[in-house]
Amino acid sequence: MNQTNDKTAFLNAGKTLLRKEDRRLLTGHGRFTDDIHVVGELHACFVRSTYPHAKISALNTAEASAAPGVITIVTAEDLSEWTTTLRLAPPIEGLLPIEMTALPKDKVRFYGDLIACVIATDRYLAEDAAELVIVEYEPLEAVTGMFAAMEEDAPLVDEELGSNMISHQSFETKSIQKIMKAADRIVESTFATARQTHLPIETRGCIAEWDEGSQHLTMHIGNQAPHPFRSVLAGRLKLRESQVTIVVPDVGGGFGQKIALYREELIVAALARHLKRPVRWREDRMENMLASSHAREDFARTRAAVDSNGRIIGLMLELIEDFGAYCFYPANYLARVVAMILTGPYDIGEYAYDVKVVLTNKCGNGPMRAPMAITSWIMDGTIDNIARELELDPVQVRRLNMLADSAYPHTMATGETMEDINPGTALEKGLESIDYKNFRKRQLDDRTRGVYRGIGICSVVESTTYGSKFYKAAGIPGSGHECAWVKVDPSGEVRASAGVMSTGQGYETAFSQAVAEGLGVDPKDVAIKLGNTDVAPYGMGSRGARGATAGGGTVYLAAAAVREKALAIAAKLLGLNSADHLSIQEGRVCWFFDGKIQETELTLSDIARTAYLDPTSLPDGMEPGLEVTKAYDPPPMTYSNSCHFCEVVVEVNSGIVKIERYLVVENCGNVLSTQIVEGQQLGAISMGLSGSMFEHMIYDESGYNQTGLLSEYMMATASELPEIEIISVATPNRRTPIGLKGMAEGGVMGSIGAVSNAVSDALAPFSVVIDSHPISPLSLRQKLRKSH
Amino acid sequence: MKPSPFTYHDPHSLDEALALLNQYGEEARIIAGGQSLVAMMNLRLAQPDHLIDINNIPVLNGIECQDRLLQIGALTSHQDILQSELVRQSCPILTNAAAHIGHYAIRQRGTIGGSLSHADPAAEWPMIAILLDGEMEIAQLSGEKRTLGARDFIQSIYTTDLAPEEILTKISFPCLEENEGWAFKPFARRRGDYFIVAVAACLTLDQSGRIKRLRLCLGGMEATAIRLDEIEQGSIAHLPDENWIREVAKAACNEGNPVDDHNADVEYRRELVEILVTDALQDAFKGTQRG
Ligand SMILES: Cc1cc2nc3c(=O)[nH]c(=O)nc-3n(C[C@H](O)[C@H](O)[C@H](O)COP(=O)(O)OP(=O)(O)OC[C@H]3O[C@@H](n4cnc5c(N)ncnc54)[C@H](O)[C@@H]3O)c2cc1C
Repeated sequence: MNQTNDKTAFLNAGKTLLRKEDRRLLTGHGRFTDDIHVVGELHACFVRSTYPHAKISALNTAEASAAPGVITIVTAEDLSEWTTTLRLAPPIEGLLPIEMTALPKDKVRFYGDLIACVIATDRYLAEDAAELVIVEYEPLEAVTGMFAAMEEDAPLVDEELGSNMISHQSFETKSIQKIMKAADRIVESTFATARQTHLPIETRGCIAEWDEGSQHLTMHIGNQAPHPFRSVLAGRLKLRESQVTIVVPDVGGGFGQKIALYREELIVAALARHLKRPVRWREDRMENMLASSHAREDFARTRAAVDSNGRIIGLMLELIEDFGAYCFYPANYLARVVAMILTGPYDIGEYAYDVKVVLTNKCGNGPMRAPMAITSWIMDGTIDNIARELELDPVQVRRLNMLADSAYPHTMATGETMEDINPGTALEKGLESIDYKNFRKRQLDDRTRGVYRGIGICSVVESTTYGSKFYKAAGIPGSGHECAWVKVDPSGEVRASAGVMSTGQGYETAFSQAVAEGLGVDPKDVAIKLGNTDVAPYGMGSRGARGATAGGGTVYLAAAAVREKALAIAAKLLGLNSADHLSIQEGRVCWFFDGKIQETELTLSDIARTAYLDPTSLPDGMEPGLEVTKAYDPPPMTYSNSCHFCEVVVEVNSGIVKIERYLVVENCGNVLSTQIVEGQQLGAISMGLSGSMFEHMIYDESGYNQTGLLSEYMMATASELPEIEIISVATPNRRTPIGLKGMAEGGVMGSIGAVSNAVSDALAPFSVVIDSHPISPLSLRQKLRKSH
Repeated sequence: MKPSPFTYHDPHSLDEALALLNQYGEEARIIAGGQSLVAMMNLRLAQPDHLIDINNIPVLNGIECQDRLLQIGALTSHQDILQSELVRQSCPILTNAAAHIGHYAIRQRGTIGGSLSHADPAAEWPMIAILLDGEMEIAQLSGEKRTLGARDFIQSIYTTDLAPEEILTKISFPCLEENEGWAFKPFARRRGDYFIVAVAACLTLDQSGRIKRLRLCLGGMEATAIRLDEIEQGSIAHLPDENWIREVAKAACNEGNPVDDHNADVEYRRELVEILVTDALQDAFKGTQRG
């Protein structure tokens, strides 16, 4: 490993390359699940609940079963024979264990919940038959809000739990209560994110093939974590893991929606095995929006004890998350991270949190790009409220409370240690770039002309690449390590693989650069093979901004180990007694001699040929072949940081918000591929802006989803999004390979906070504070009317 | 999201299409661009047994201008209207409205006749047709034709005067006068969305600079776009000054009987009308000063 992690030491990491995957993707030659056809395949279609909460009193499939093309219609009872019940009961304090069957047995819990599965010869006929399934419901009262869910006599989403509060965790430092009691001044703030959904352009879908001869299941599916998925799928089908292969083709986006084994995919696999025929399922857009997975819908309240200068002497967080009706993940998992890392770049030694997660009659939640998205808004929004209440400049309050860059490594009150970040530099650099000094004057001048301009600042400390130690400490089962192999074939061809899987992030490009860096070849000569569990090593998959550091980092380490072996062989072939002065550059062995790098005649291909075909020429005792498999467990947490600046003008008559400038100062360490990192930054910021200004999954009071179509669910398009300026102040991480850090989620965290704070700043003359999302023109008008 | 079964028919003449419609009546549906119908069929909100494709009937397509009457075949696509030089010169508000319909791919397929027959209260063509008192030409099996003004043709949300056996063949708009100022101001959250509220206006002044004719139309405030007849009448001979604009905007926002939904509450719709009317009249006035 390059110990200095000095960026200039790298030849391939950090270069801008055209994305390798784009040739096929942009010319229409990508291969997605729908491009795969299997002879004799059948189609699945699910019968879904038309009630938000109801007992199923009768289910009649007789007429539907007789419809043209129908092979079978299965219900909960059938599936309980073929599948096991999911039991999610990690030993986490304050978290209730849950159980889930493949299909709900006697009641449905949300509008769109599963009831039965129709298998027919095509999807059209399957849908025709699904309409003929007769379901008799006995409607139950639905609980549709987090506060209602916590009421004493609230209807229960899951009777087995005896409560809708599925998780409750709290923490406090020793003196926080005393400090809060003694404080002169307590500033209270609230924040609420809207319910959203991931909205990948490709919905979920899969093809399950059962080979009766070899008793083997092959599942083609767009999934972010193929190996963990295989483990769960095999377990629930009562198969040995060696009987299951997961093959992930090109995937049209995941954003966290394609990690877990959901019920639909389990059912499709079970039916393929039962029917001994291939079965495919493509979730349609409405199913995806109503019933795949939702996200966010957090409510947070902070209470900050401050002195008269705005210094925070104690902070308390209350966080409630509406998790919907089903848990495919431990319910505490998302909200808990918010609470753990809330204080981020600020020096807040006395801290307490109380985190509740509740079930409601809505689609179940899951992690979505930046599950902890609300964190930075809560923290920087709290700072802005302190500034407003004390009539101080918000930048001054930030500076006063922010840790100096020299204070890192720093351990937060929760025990989380941040290192190698520079929030102070990021803040100052951004202030200078947007000319904050003159901004306030501009703002005042504009106000006299009836133009309401505001600036929002949001510092982000992004938790990325969760290592095994973090999981262990948080009591979450699972590992944060990753595994990779690099092979040089006898021909000299280089291939590499890892357990992570791209859903569009461009891993083939970035990992080629990691291999190129580790091994000393040109990235274009590296083939990356991901997504097939029989080919890739068992890894933990893609989530939590771990692609580069865990995935790319492990690939790099494996490549470096291959280089080491190759150079040992080279030394022998060149008649040297050590490889100390040898290196490989663009596939050729070079010799550092007389202060100069000189090429030798030897290439990586020569070495590979020797390694495989002439083992007796290898150094004594060396194994033939040229391949290495490596596992790597990253630090407990690898922190990145950034500071976001958003300048808006709010038209107060119409409530329209115009983003006039968006700037972000980023420190995401050394990078593998500059272009891909930039794409992630722009994408994350866009996702955050869309989420905080446009998107809202709306349920009415009785639990019906009002936004289950793309025409109703507002997602921002390119036309609604601003130009984004990115400035880098990167410093490498001292422990990770190449000094890498994750970065794919921080943009969401920062933009949510920056735009919200900007609108509050613009509307300060009206005392309007943004405390909920989305920041729609209607919501602004409603707030402004009240303030007049 | 797959349609229920249907039989597809591909007539090559208007007579053939009318005969099919007559044969299948309520069980048949015309498909033009399919940009509204196919979505409804995929959601199974529409389940026609027979689909009669009118795309291969050339007489339904095309744009002409005769005697200061702009005539557009029902099958003409939004994009063709947007790109037509004839339209731009004779009735530029149509060009502007077309640009606001959905996105390129949708405009390529979607047709003016389809949009009018569909009668979405948040769509551009029904509103512009009401603003300009467009005339609908409707063909019947008997070989008869009838024509109907836009206000009689569009009856309510998704409801027109068309009988199941009829085909909308042509829409005529009177060309705008020289020096007629106009404006179309839709409000939507995103580019290309159906509007939440829209205002359209046409304004001509007499020699002395007073108002000769005002046409003012609101969309999104009722089940169809509405013309503000009283305001239009009352404006005649007025000076088109800021004062007048303010008064009209104030009066206009009390018109209509809008609904509350998650896009806009009643009050917000009225607030938008006031802003958009002001905007529209200022633009329209500027337009009268061009020549
Ligand atoms: C994503 C999206 C966004 C859109 N945004 C907008 C927008 O912003 N503004 C807007 O105005 N529209 C919008 N549309 C709708 C689009 O303009 C449609 O093209 C239009 O509403 C219907 O025209 P069509 O030719 O596609 O009709 P079809 O979908 O083929 O037909 C619609 C209805 O009209 C009937 N019909 C069609 N032609 C005739 C005829 N000649 N005689 C009798 N009946 C007929 C059909 O039987 C059917 O009932 C959007 C559509 C999509 C998919």
